[in-house]
Amino acid sequence: MPQVMVVARNFMDMVAALPAAKLDMLYDSAFICEAVLRSLPPLAKKYALQMLYVSAPVAAAAMEEWVLDEYAAKHKVAIDRLLQLRVFVEVRDRRKEVSYKMNQKFQGNMQKYLVDGGSLPREPIPSSVTARLPTLAELEAYALEQWECFLLQLINSSQVERGTSFSSSMMRTFQRGLLSSRDGEAPRLTENGFQFLLMETNAQLWYIMREYISSSEERGVDPTELISFLLELSFHTLGEAYSLNTLTDVQRNAIRDLAELGLVKLQQGRKDSWFIPTKLATNLSASLSDSSSSKEGFVVVETNFRMYAYSTSKLHCEILRLFSRVEYQLPNLIVGSITKESLYGAFENGITAEQIISFLQQNAHPRVADKIPAVPENVTDQIRLWETDRNRVEMTLSHLYEDFPSKDMFEQCCDYARDHGCLLWEDAKKMRLIVRVEFHPEMREFLRRLR
Amino acid sequence: MAGGDGDRARAPKRHKSSAPPRTIDETAELDYADDVDDDVRDADREVKKRDFTKLELKPDHANRPLWACADGRIFLETFSPLYKQAYDFLIAIAEPVCRPESMHEYNLTPHSLYAAVSVGLETSTIISVMSKLSKTKLPREIIDFIHASTANYGKVKLVLKKNRYFVESPFPEVLKTLLRDDIISRAWISPEDSVGAPSFTVSKTAGEMASGHEDLLDGMELAAATEDKETHSFEIDPSQVENVKQRCLPNALNFPMLEEYDFRNDTVNPDLEMELKPQARPRPYQEKSLSKMFGNGRARSGIIVLPCGAGKSLVGVSAACRIKKSCLCLATNAVSVDQWAFQFKLWSTIKDEHISRFTSDNKEKFRGMAGVVVTTYNMVAFGGKRSEDSEKIIEEIRNREWGLLLMDEVHVVPAHMFRKVISITKSHCKLGLTATLVREDERITDLNFLIGPKLYEANWLDLVKGGFIANVQCAEVWCPMTKEFFAEYLKKENSKKKQVLYAMNPNKFRACEFLIRFHEQQRGDKIIVFADNLFALTSYAMKLRKPMIYGSTSHVERTRILHQFKNSSDVNTIFLSKVGDNSIDIPEANVIIQISSHAGSRRQEAQRLGRILRAKGKHQDRMAGGKEEYNAFFYSLVSTDTQEMYYSTKRQQFLIDQGYSFKVITSLPPPEELPNLKYYTLEEQLELLAQSLNARDDMIGIEHLEEDSDGKALIKARRSAGSMSAFSGSGGMVYMEYSTGKGKAAFKKPKDPSKRHYLFKKRYQ
Repeated sequence: MPQVMVVARNFMDMVAALPAAKLDMLYDSAFICEAVLRSLPPLAKKYALQMLYVSAPVAAAAMEEWVLDEYAAKHKVAIDRLLQLRVFVEVRDRRKEVSYKMNQKFQGNMQKYLVDGGSLPREPIPSSVTARLPTLAELEAYALEQWECFLLQLINSSQVERGTSFSSSMMRTFQRGLLSSRDGEAPRLTENGFQFLLMETNAQLWYIMREYISSSEERGVDPTELISFLLELSFHTLGEAYSLNTLTDVQRNAIRDLAELGLVKLQQGRKDSWFIPTKLATNLSASLSDSSSSKEGFVVVETNFRMYAYSTSKLHCEILRLFSRVEYQLPNLIVGSITKESLYGAFENGITAEQIISFLQQNAHPRVADKIPAVPENVTDQIRLWETDRNRVEMTLSHLYEDFPSKDMFEQCCDYARDHGCLLWEDAKKMRLIVRVEFHPEMREFLRRLR
Repeated sequence: MAGGDGDRARAPKRHKSSAPPRTIDETAELDYADDVDDDVRDADREVKKRDFTKLELKPDHANRPLWACADGRIFLETFSPLYKQAYDFLIAIAEPVCRPESMHEYNLTPHSLYAAVSVGLETSTIISVMSKLSKTKLPREIIDFIHASTANYGKVKLVLKKNRYFVESPFPEVLKTLLRDDIISRAWISPEDSVGAPSFTVSKTAGEMASGHEDLLDGMELAAATEDKETHSFEIDPSQVENVKQRCLPNALNFPMLEEYDFRNDTVNPDLEMELKPQARPRPYQEKSLSKMFGNGRARSGIIVLPCGAGKSLVGVSAACRIKKSCLCLATNAVSVDQWAFQFKLWSTIKDEHISRFTSDNKEKFRGMAGVVVTTYNMVAFGGKRSEDSEKIIEEIRNREWGLLLMDEVHVVPAHMFRKVISITKSHCKLGLTATLVREDERITDLNFLIGPKLYEANWLDLVKGGFIANVQCAEVWCPMTKEFFAEYLKKENSKKKQVLYAMNPNKFRACEFLIRFHEQQRGDKIIVFADNLFALTSYAMKLRKPMIYGSTSHVERTRILHQFKNSSDVNTIFLSKVGDNSIDIPEANVIIQISSHAGSRRQEAQRLGRILRAKGKHQDRMAGGKEEYNAFFYSLVSTDTQEMYYSTKRQQFLIDQGYSFKVITSLPPPEELPNLKYYTLEEQLELLAQSLNARDDMIGIEHLEEDSDGKALIKARRSAGSMSAFSGSGGMVYMEYSTGKGKAAFKKPKDPSKRHYLFKKRYQ
């Protein structure tokens, strides 16, 4: 995947960004503590466990000796992270020497956890009540369908058959940074938006969840509560049913939104209603790097710029449409061609040639993926050439001078500008010249002196 | 050059009407602006989406190789295990649109189905095989379309048996329909014993040996094709044959006749003693094309499409050897006449006295009862006064009944010329050969009915993979215009000199010089440089001191230069104008550098590439991974930011659709070579610019004096007002189909609905 610029790499970054008081409040829950522990880099994890039963502060200098010199950098990263998340708390003694102490709430909860083991925030409903639950495969299909539907709506596709129930203001929040709208025009995908579409599902989910949480205050919801609920959710068992009655009001509102995104499936029994977490929800706490399941590619690009995508997904079709001309849609194949016009459209939106090429390469159909190169060289070359073609015009801010009273003065000005390397253009016949913008004050001064 | 000029000035649609007799100069080169272009590709630009997602996928779709869309477009996976069978089938029933590595596209068209029917495939077979191969259920539209297209085609045959003409059909009701027509019933010779109600002679014919489809029609379907069929026939008056044929064309009764020649039972025309020599071993695809022609023991008329260098002449000679009757072979120019005569002697056991050449310089007497005559289209179609000798020979040609009319490069010859040639000569079987069936103004319709359907078309990429033709590395070299040239190029008053300016761009010259030097010195290659622009041709050739051939180069001179190029190690580069596009066989060349070209003609590009397609070197070296995977090079030099860029993209389309790819090179010549090349200094460049700007006038002068066909035609072409697309030559068989396949957009703006093919009318009403 291309480097993701728009997204906090980790859910925990968001947690770490919370104010200290809120963070400490989060640690009331044993689950949050566990989730935070799990999210730590290996060395930090080790330190946390090492300190679990140490109640006195440990000097920072002493800790530094725990690792060999060459791993000092890693050590620093680990400690920083622990401090950010307030797992460790900095203590300074009278001599201003720094030492670290474990967050008491965190420590207490983890100690309890080690003894008792974790207990789920709520128990699944027995199957006698729920009757038939969806199979895992059905659940996954449901989740992906929901997600795709949401994405299509997000990028304002005309292909949306059934919208989600998100309010348009909420949708706009999500679209912030992904779409840009010029005056009077329909919003278009920006460079970031395109990158977003090229990201894998989990990364996209992170992005959306972050937007969802950070905008929660506008909706009068405490982000801390949302974060804790989301982290809780990730500890639920995939495919089991959990009663909606166990939820607080805030949580109950949130769960509806999450259902729209495909994180949970809502079902209604005779008396009870329940939610079933999908893979999207249980993957929430997994760190980004773990979840990079290698999906099978689907695109074949030919030397004649024809593109064949083995896909049934409308979203794929929309993505391809961003930089190619889709000509045929068959039950399991999308046929398009990459043309100069279609690429110019993509470049216009800030999508770069490299992004397109890497998309084509990373999603190459297994038939062609083994070939080197997977995308024909003449096509990639041409895509790059078309891009550079657009960049041949260079803009230089400058000033135009005309109406010189005399040839002599005109020439003096020309020479003066030329000597300073700031003359861009001159027309001796009509006595006009252009100089770089930064030279304008000096030029004015010079003219004043001439007069 | 009245012929050439007249043709250019001719309105695109005129060829449908019977053209008034025009004079054709017998010495003239064939120089026709083919390809009348409606700019089909532009029509595509408006975004068309074809949504066939509702088609029902079969559960085992992964094992089936193709998708068929309701508009006639077919997609074929080449990595499917059934690819070979599916390919053979599709090439018989559909027109290939593009055939790169992984996925092929085809179009079903009335013409392609006509061809399918004429090689013996039946409607039911076509539909059942296609639905077997398809991943989805066949769309209703496709089935209807196949039915509609094949309803009339291939139902009636015209057979010349023992010098009596018979109209033959397995369907008596069709014959009855025909006889209801006045002209046909007048031509009808009824057998003496049955006066009154028409009765037909019933006979059995051996079923089709329908070449190559057996493997995929497992059992059941095949039975229908092979079992002996009853055919019904009636005889017609030989003098009325042309009229009867006319009546059967789509614009009249619409039962186009297939022509077959039962040459084995022809006892009237004397046999010609000729066999293929044992060393002439046709390759698999040549065999296949011949088997399509001789599928049922008779000789079918039609067109065989093979890439240049793939051995078209062997196919032609083999066909003549099978028929073993007198053969008239038509080529486009005198050099190629010599080459055909040579090919006949090379591959067959024909005696020297049985083969004669007939050109304006070389009027060999025709001897013996049967023989092979090689001549040019112009010689036969010439309408003016002839010398006594040639009048005699032409008389001989007119009076003789030819077993085989062998026509080379059918795509370059205009329809009216064909009409003339075909009406002058009486032949039992016509075989057209070509490398690129890209021309399709509607003239291809004419070809279909004047000669016959396309019998076979080879896949370029498969032949490359098989090592039968060279693996060519194609490159487009971008040469930026120098500042001074570009400034002149942009000036309004120079609009007519644009071509000269971008051809003479010093950067292009230097790239060309560098490439010639590189290939001559580093690789020891033989190089052809093509330039359509006469001024560019002469200036380049003079400056670089290389021999050149263009329109007014005499036959003797041409032969001498070609001989030197072939045999001398001192002459490694020749400059050719577009006279070199066709038929001049230069097997030694393996590098082409193109410095100026005929606007956007895809056919020309393909023809030029064809000059170096003949496979050279050891077979195993040429295979993928061998030490010389590419040993042929095709460079197209274009001046950036000029019209050439646009044309260049257009020109390459045909080759790209055949699976070739053009690599763009932006940094030629390399900077360290710069001082060693000509036109290094600004003064030299400015001098060149001045020459170029002054060139036009004296060029006209020269052309007038020497009556050069190329140059004159070129100037005419540039002067005439009209759409650029008409000269760009992008109307091609494949391409027209491409757009019709996409259906509506092409029909959104029909210029005149009455001009539509009747089948389209039916479909798109």
